[in-house]
Amino acid sequence: MSIFPVFDTAASALRTNRIWMDAISDNLANVNTVKPYNQPAFQARFVAAQELPTNPSDPIGVGGGVTVASIKYGDATGIERYEPGNPLANAKGYIRSPDVDVAQNMTDLIIAQRAYQLNLAVVDRASQSYQQAIQINGK
Amino acid sequence: MAVSPIGAMMSAATAAPVTGTQQIGAAGIPTDTGQAGAASGSDFGNVVTNALQGMQDSQDSANSLAVQAATGDLTDVHNYTIAATEASLRTEMTVAVRDRAVAAFNQIMAMQV
Repeated sequence: MSIFPVFDTAASALRTNRIWMDAISDNLANVNTVKPYNQPAFQARFVAAQELPTNPSDPIGVGGGVTVASIKYGDATGIERYEPGNPLANAKGYIRSPDVDVAQNMTDLIIAQRAYQLNLAVVDRASQSYQQAIQINGK
Repeated sequence: MAVSPIGAMMSAATAAPVTGTQQIGAAGIPTDTGQAGAASGSDFGNVVTNALQGMQDSQDSANSLAVQAATGDLTDVHNYTIAATEASLRTEMTVAVRDRAVAAFNQIMAMQV
């Protein structure tokens, strides 16, 4: 256990939210990635978060933060779209475009960004608190 | 902590540095502080050595992350800033401990006998 445990906890949350933002960025980057009808469409990325277990050396039982348990993948069927002019279209004129909800991803991006900022604020407050503790009765 | 004035000088000379080292030990720096009576001076030396070692370690990790940031190998920006904050706090704490120890020593040395 670190001497400043709040930093480790906040860093785990910052990392998790950064990965979430990476996943959203990947989803938005591939929003127009079309595939031939006989291939799986781009699958949206979802981050499954998980709490970290309590540190055994911690007598109080506060947990160790959060981590990414796994990356889940969305529907590979995608959206079958009729686009006969597309060079990837099959004989009937269909292609697969990804089932990525842009509005949902933008909302998630705001949540992820706010959560990231929230944990930066935690680091800031913890740093101030530790500093004030060091300066107790100091000159 | 209320101390009766008569026994204060002796108890302050022996007990005060030991409570100090015990508090530092509780804050996470490993110490091999023995019982309260065994304040021989090597305990405080160990505490200072361990604190300096911890400070050095945190500054080393902040430095290696700074190199990673410069070379573009840094995956998480916040890792560097947090490590730098931690190194700075540890340095501040070590300096604070040193200042208190020196102040206590000076007070003892300035004591009228």
